[in-house]
Parts: sequence; structure tokens; C-alpha cells
Amino acid sequence: MNQRHGLTKFVVLIVLLAMVFSLSVYGATKPAFNWKMAKGSTIKLMLVQHSIAEAMVKKIPEFEKLTGIKVEYSITPEENYFDKVTTSLNSRMGDMDIFMSGAYQLWDYAPAGFVEDLGPYLKNPKMTAADYDIADIYSGAIGAMKWDLVPGHKAGTGSQLGLPMAFEIYSLAYNKRVFKEKGIKPPKTMDELLAVCEKLKEWGGKGTYPLAIRGARNWGTIHPAYMSTYENYGAKDFKIENGKLVSLVNSPESVAMNEMWVKLIKVGGSPSWSSYTWYQAGADLGAGKAAMLWDADNNGIQQNWPGASKEAGNIAWVPQPLPSGASKNNSNLWTWGIAMNKASKNKVAAWLAMEYFTSKSYLLYASTVGNAVDPVRASVWDSAAFKKKIGQHEGYSDTFKATINNTRILFTPQPHFQETTTEWAANLQDLVAGKYKTVQEGLDDLKKKTDEAVKDVVIK
Amino acid sequence: MNTKRLAVLAAAGRNLILTIWAIFALFPILWMVLCTFKLDREMYSTTFFFHPTLDNYVNVLVRTNYFKAFFDNIIVSGGAVILSVLVGVPAAYGFARYNFKSKEFWAGQILGFKFAPEILVVLPLFMIYQKLHLIDTYLGLIWVYQLITMPFLIWVVRGYFEDISLEVEQAAQLDGYSWYQVFLKILLPLVKPGLVAAALLTFIFAWNSFMFPLILSGFSVQTVTVSSLKYLASDTVHYGQMAVAATITVLPEVIMALAIQKHLVRGLSFGAVKG
Repeated sequence: MNQRHGLTKFVVLIVLLAMVFSLSVYGATKPAFNWKMAKGSTIKLMLVQHSIAEAMVKKIPEFEKLTGIKVEYSITPEENYFDKVTTSLNSRMGDMDIFMSGAYQLWDYAPAGFVEDLGPYLKNPKMTAADYDIADIYSGAIGAMKWDLVPGHKAGTGSQLGLPMAFEIYSLAYNKRVFKEKGIKPPKTMDELLAVCEKLKEWGGKGTYPLAIRGARNWGTIHPAYMSTYENYGAKDFKIENGKLVSLVNSPESVAMNEMWVKLIKVGGSPSWSSYTWYQAGADLGAGKAAMLWDADNNGIQQNWPGASKEAGNIAWVPQPLPSGASKNNSNLWTWGIAMNKASKNKVAAWLAMEYFTSKSYLLYASTVGNAVDPVRASVWDSAAFKKKIGQHEGYSDTFKATINNTRILFTPQPHFQETTTEWAANLQDLVAGKYKTVQEGLDDLKKKTDEAVKDVVIK
Repeated sequence: MNTKRLAVLAAAGRNLILTIWAIFALFPILWMVLCTFKLDREMYSTTFFFHPTLDNYVNVLVRTNYFKAFFDNIIVSGGAVILSVLVGVPAAYGFARYNFKSKEFWAGQILGFKFAPEILVVLPLFMIYQKLHLIDTYLGLIWVYQLITMPFLIWVVRGYFEDISLEVEQAAQLDGYSWYQVFLKILLPLVKPGLVAAALLTFIFAWNSFMFPLILSGFSVQTVTVSSLKYLASDTVHYGQMAVAATITVLPEVIMALAIQKHLVRGLSFGAVKG
């Protein structure tokens, strides 16, 4: 009996040892990811002037050494960047392999067949390293570059048109020195914000004003704080009706939101509000002209690095003010990502570059050694190095964490995005200028123009 | 005495007005130069008091490839002007001296190139250049710059050739000059003021060109007009560095304009009074 028991134990031990051995052999022989699979290729990158691109340029030699792929690049300022990209894509000659893009531009490029779907590359274990970990990228950011190419269908499903590298959410940055001097607390609601704006009129003498916010006649005015607040009031931009897009800009929720927005600009905005873009709005906070900035969180941060502006070190962040009764802080987002030219002749090499420049290690480098914020990967936010770097900006990290779960693209994807949002910004200027008797009248007019602009869009 | 005092006062008043005008006209350049010495944190100060620094110069001239773009611009702009002079001066002479079918139509066509919006023609040019492998090359830019430089040069120099009497050429030929000698030794010196003025202006047009180098180059060749904007990033602006780039960029134009001011004024005023 004892002998049989001993034999059984021996057999079990042998089997276990064999299993452990076979597993270890499998582990040892499992092929490492082949970064050299496109060795000898040359790829061209078209980059926009941005801190994430500056970090890319510094890492190109390392990528070339790792892969044996030669990289050529051009960097162009955003103002003219998309003219260059559009020309190159339109030629369909595959002159460039990878280009930087935002989500909105992909809504133009992808339906025209200019953009490679990255889904198959991501799903292929031979093409994507096991440690790439796409789940580590915030769902709002990765979803922003995903779309099924059907106008009216929300972003977040369908083809993966690009991979995000850096993004921005929207929050309220304020000058804590001024708030302390005046004994004011950061506002949490729209009514409180309006009251704070009343108190901070010419807070530092002539030329100073309460709230920096964008107002130029282009889409850039609509997509940051405005669109986030639009959603927080429960308003939507479009609905699908009988296979057509129908504008909802004159809904009661939109009217309520716009009435408040017009009041805010009149009470708290810069006298030059109608020409304000990212640059002027951020610069006024840094120069000590504006006491608050409602814009991208990383706009204010560029003014807060040591030595970056007069008010550097005095800027802090809180989540966006919400309408009374609302508890969910929805934020739109903008992301700079990379996409692949469908006409590229070096797709494997291009994919390897995309994988490398959206990897954990690269994005950690770009956000800690470089100044690229906000990183799109949760692991970077959780890293000690990034926490230390971002910790010098009071409230930045907490505000991000309080907002990120409700951050996503709030616009409805459609091919006339630029045209309709520019018209929207023009209408907002007219509302503030008092061109219409009521906000409702102005938004009724905008609805007509928007419906006209999208009337050719047919949803199958 | 009163009259003399009045004359002095009038002269002083004139000088004062001219001084104010000069300050007004030169103020943007003065402000740009001041910005080159300012730190980012003092950029929005509207007073003349700040802590001067050379950091912007170090960042632009040492830490970026600004000089590469600067020399690229010299090569393509200089090359474009040389090619325009070599081809345009004989063409201008031809339009001035010879009568051929549809002469004014062709002259108008050439001038029309100058007015074609660059953004409209750049896509087909991009595709043609791709096929000819001229994208991102010096030759490609020098060639496309002919759309900017050649029409102006032909039309200005044509006017000068038309002003020279035919008898001058005939007299030189009677003295034994060949046609080429007449052209090089008689006609070219006579049109020199106009040629210099036109060449300088075409150089400035080429130097300032933006759309063609933006679309048709950028990887290997990048001109200073495109490169200067790199200090205007999507997320940050370094106005001090941009001011350094802009200040150095205008230097060749200013130096050339001052060096050949005599020809420039003469050349342009000749053109102005020509019937």
C-alpha cells in the first residue's frame, strides 16, 4: 500500500516536473517581438510643431537603431500643417507614410480613403508587441480616433484611424495669488462663476479682466470649454432623422446654455474676446491680465512652468463649473495622434514607428524628459516620475482624475465639421454682439444654416 | 529777422514731423529687435524696461538648424533670380524688339503666372514634381520660383529695352559690333538700373515665398520662411525666438536694399515716369 502510494507520488512529481520544464522551455523559446522585420526601409513622418513631436525627433535615432528603419521627417506649424498633409494625401502617391492628426481631421480624410485602418495591425500578435497594452490608453483618447465612417454615428467604434499620443481635457485654471488676495474661492457652478466674474472686473487695474476664453471665428472656439458646457447643459449637436442629420442647436438646453455663455463673455471676457484663440487666452492668464482661463488644461500649464510667464507658479486648476443641478463633469477632448497614409508603400515599417511612438516607454519619456502633456496612457500618469513633474502644478492631477472618466469626443462625426463649427463660432460672436433680439432667434438662424450645410449627408 | 526765425522754425517742424514719421515707420522693426532680447515672462510687458538676455539667440542659432534653412533660402532664392535673369532678359528683349504673332497675348500669359493663386496650382505641381523626383530639391524650388520671379523681371526689363532707341543698336553695329556685343556692351549697361531693381525685388519675392516651399519641400530642404514658424508650436509660443528668426531673416533683404539703393531708386523712379 505504501509502495503504491509512493509510486503514485513519484509519478505525480515526474508529471509536474515535466509540465514545469515544458512551460519553462516554451517561455524561453517564445520568440521576442521582431523589431527588425522592416530593416532597410525608409519612412517619412509629417509632424506638427508640438512638444510631443519634439520628443519624437529626439527619439528617432533610438528607433532607427532598434529597427534598422531610416526615418525622415518634416515639422510644420499647425497653422499651415493641414494644407501640407491634405496636399500629400490627395496626391495618393504615398510620399509620406505617417502623419500627425487630430480626430476631427480624420473625419475628412478617412471617408476619402486616405487613412489606413490600424485595427488589423493591433490584433496581429506578429505585428504588435505583447507589452504594447492598448488598454492602458484612456478610452476617451483611443476612442476619439475610432469611427465607423458613418456620418452621425458617434466616435468610439469602427476602424482605428489613428493612435493618440497626447491629448487635452477642459478645466478651469485660475490665478491662486489673485484669488487669495481677493478672498475668493474657485467657482463650482456656472452661477458662481458669473458671480466671481462680477467681483473680478478690472481686478488688477485697467486692462485686467476676469475670464480668458476663446472667441475667434473658427472651430477652435467651439470645441473646448463651450462644447463641454453645451453637453453639461444636456444639449446635443445633431440627431439622425429619416436618414439625414438634423441640427439641434436651437433646443431649449442649447438656448439656456448659450444665454449663460453670452452673459459670461459680456461680464467676464476680454474686450478683444472675438479674436481670442488658444494663444491669446493662455497668454493673458500667464501675463496676469486674466484671473481665470477656461480652456485646455495644458494651455494653462505652458504658462506655469518655472520662468514661462509672469504668473508662473501662481496658476492652479479645478474642474469645470457645472450648471446648477448637474453632477457629471463631461469634457470634450482634443488629441494629437498619428495616422498611416493608406497610400504608404512602407506600411510595416510605418506601423512599427507608430507602435514605438505610442508605447509606454516613449510616452513616459515624452511626458517626463519632454514637456508633452497630457499623456494618453494611465501608466504614465501613475508613474512616480510624472507624478513628481506634474505635482508642481496645484490641482492639475486631481482635476484630470476628476474629469477623465467623462472625457470623450462630444461632437457628432460628420464631413462638414469645419464648416458647421466655424458657422457656430460666427453665430456666437453675433449673439454676443447683440445682432439678434434673443438667443433663441440667433440659434434658430444657426440651425437653418447648419441643416443646409449637412443636407447632402445621407446616412445609410 | 522774423522771416529767418520762421524759416528755422519751419525747418525744425519739418524735421520733427519726419523724425516722428521715421520712428512710427521703424517702430515694428525696433519692437521686433527688442523682443529678441526679452525673456518669455517679460514678453507681454509694454514698457521698455526688461532684463535683457541672449538666450533667444543661443536657442535659435545654436540649438536649432536655423542656419541650414537660412542657407537653403539663399540657394533657392539666389538660384531663382540668376535663372530668371539668364532667361528673362533675352525674353524681355525679344518682347521689346521683335514683332511676332500673338506677342501681347504671350506677354500677358507670362504676367498671368504671377497672379495665379499658389494654393490652386500647388496640388498638380506636387504630383508632377513627385513623378519627376523634384520634391524636396533645390532645383525643384528654383524652378517653381520662376512663377514668382520671371514675369516681374520680364515686364520691368522689357520696358527699359523699349525705352532704348533702335538707332543706338544700329550705330553700334555700324561701328563693327556683333549683335551679341551690342547686347552685352551697349544694351545691358543701359538697362542696368532697371535690371538691378527688378532682380532685387524678385529676390525679395522669392525670399519671402511660403506656400511653394511649404508644400514642395520640408524633409531635406526647408526655407527660412517655413522654418521661422517652428517657434510657434501648437501648445507653446516662443515669441523671443521667433523674433530672432525674423530679425535675421530680414537682414539679407535690408543689406541688399541698402547696398544697391542708388540703382533701386533710379530703377523704380524711371519706371514710375515712363509713359
